[in-house]
Amino acid sequence: MKGDVINVKVVVIGAGTMGSVHAEAYASMPGVELRGIVDPRLDVAQSLAEKLGSFSYSTLDSLLMAEDPDVVDVCVPTPFHKEYIVRAAKAGKHIISEKPLDRNLSDAEDSIRVCKEHNVRLFVGQVVRFFPEYRSIRQQIVQGKLGQVGTARTFRGGSFPSGSNDWYANSKLSGTIIVDLLIHDIDFLRWCFGDVERVYAKNLVAERNRLDHAYVSLKFQNGVIAHLEGTWSAPSGFSTAIEVAGDKGLITHNSDGSVPIHSAIRQQRSGVAAVEVPSSPMIHNPYFIELEHFIHCIRTGDVADVEPEDALAALKISLAAVRSAQSGEVVTLSQARGEK
Amino acid sequence: MKFAIFSFAHMHAYSYAQALQHIHDAQLTVVADSHEERGEAAARKFGATYYKDYQDALQYGDFDAVIVCSENVHHAEMVVAAAEAHKHILCEKPLATTIADANAMITACEKNDVKLQTAFPIRFSTPLQYVKKQIDSGSLGRILALTGTNRGQNPGGWFNDMQLSGGGAVLDHTVHVIDIMRWYIGSEIAEVYAEVDRRFSDSPVDDCGLLVMEFCNGVIASHDPSWSRPKTFPTWGDVTLRVTGTDGITLVNAFGQHYTQYDDELNMVRQVPWGDNPDLEMINGFIACITNNSSPLASGTDGMRAMEVALAAYESARIRRPVSLPLS
Repeated sequence: MKGDVINVKVVVIGAGTMGSVHAEAYASMPGVELRGIVDPRLDVAQSLAEKLGSFSYSTLDSLLMAEDPDVVDVCVPTPFHKEYIVRAAKAGKHIISEKPLDRNLSDAEDSIRVCKEHNVRLFVGQVVRFFPEYRSIRQQIVQGKLGQVGTARTFRGGSFPSGSNDWYANSKLSGTIIVDLLIHDIDFLRWCFGDVERVYAKNLVAERNRLDHAYVSLKFQNGVIAHLEGTWSAPSGFSTAIEVAGDKGLITHNSDGSVPIHSAIRQQRSGVAAVEVPSSPMIHNPYFIELEHFIHCIRTGDVADVEPEDALAALKISLAAVRSAQSGEVVTLSQARGEK
Repeated sequence: MKFAIFSFAHMHAYSYAQALQHIHDAQLTVVADSHEERGEAAARKFGATYYKDYQDALQYGDFDAVIVCSENVHHAEMVVAAAEAHKHILCEKPLATTIADANAMITACEKNDVKLQTAFPIRFSTPLQYVKKQIDSGSLGRILALTGTNRGQNPGGWFNDMQLSGGGAVLDHTVHVIDIMRWYIGSEIAEVYAEVDRRFSDSPVDDCGLLVMEFCNGVIASHDPSWSRPKTFPTWGDVTLRVTGTDGITLVNAFGQHYTQYDDELNMVRQVPWGDNPDLEMINGFIACITNNSSPLASGTDGMRAMEVALAAYESARIRRPVSLPLS
């Protein structure tokens, strides 16, 4: 980046888990100014802003009175995405939104339309596309290194997520584990294999006991059979896994299995057993890489690696899976064409 | 106890014959195989008497129990004939290729009061039995979901001939893990959805599939039976289960007890197993159920139920809808 480039001014809405990750990325990103953090819980916003040398606001309006950002980064719970996207778009700001874009198609489509109408860019944080291991695996698939792919399997999950007002525990707000979590793998697989032909799914959500678990079966138009598993039932931790099998080779990856550092630190005089902490450090985490890419696209007008239409397509597949899980029926997404 | 092996068509016959060599008081006395060269070689190797026709073996051979390792479609006639000759039977999986055949086999064994055990060695795997105890002890809480895999490589030969195998990867590699799932949670499968396809070879039979299921007690499950391991895979395949319960999760790999060998001689990386031998324990279990006149750990009915799920998977893939069990 050249020295004479004008800094891009970014504000982050929401100082929760994702808001903090995004704000920290911007705070250390060359050519970017983190101009403010908005959270109705002003103390939460304040402590994050202080830590990162930025400013805190309790509402987007009060921030927009004081600052003139180029980009609004929306890291609020999913049900509030559209509200903030629309407000930011009307204020002429480019928008980066956490995934999923929304919980239903009409709201997601509204958000995309409003951004187009106001001539602002919209980016959706389908961050798995920016995880180096997933990126590398896709590269191998696209280059034909696995031959014709037959099956793909993904796993993603861990303990039940915590969010403000426990919003993940209400599937109407989260859209279910399929829409909130498995959309990552759905988007990634669609990026690798194209459009989906049909969907079948099982989903344990009715119990509302913070033990969600889902299986999704996808048949792609190119013939690939994919199986996705997602869980929020684990007692602890978080992990992902992927394997792609083709007639010329197989790739397997498990996040637990590729951790370079395992430390066990003795708890001083506490009498408690040491806690083992795995670490997988990188110069830039995938969120930084993703956000830096979005900022680059804003500067240059380049097409992003994930455009809003991709996020919408992933949402469509996710909602088809939810529908299948509810009805017990197979959901066909398009007319069969060219299937081998 | 004296054993016969009927046919070495299935490669597991060799593992079972080797396991018998390690069992005190067990002896392989008879090999019957319509494939003369193969049968004679096996009989020679294991010091048994060779018969070309299994009916002759039943009439003249000296043995108490038989292990049936013929091509899948021939299981039924051999098991029924052996039962009528009052031999106890350990039958290679899948038990049969149709429900009618399976029922005939089970009935013949009941009528003649002989044991029928389905060769599900994974039930005898020490790590999988440990997890069974873990589930039964309640330490995982109520079981919510079961994720299984039994991936492998296309075995070639008659496995690719529908007239002899009755099905491809989905029949071959679904039954082991379904049997474990039923055993683990003590419930039957109510519904199966499956994608089945040929993606890895020009074989006329299916070589991959993915099953999504629901048990009668509400547990959800999935299974991957694909012959999707490439030639360079460090071992033949895998058997894994992830058991998700309200109080915990267990991931078990039946062959996790292995070391890795980097072999310049063979120009490959290999996983070399060092755990207990489940084939040996399975045959020990079979002998024990005969000696004690108890029920086999994996019965003929267990074999039929597991096979039924594979047949339902084919039906689901054909009609592109979930299929309810039992099949009518």
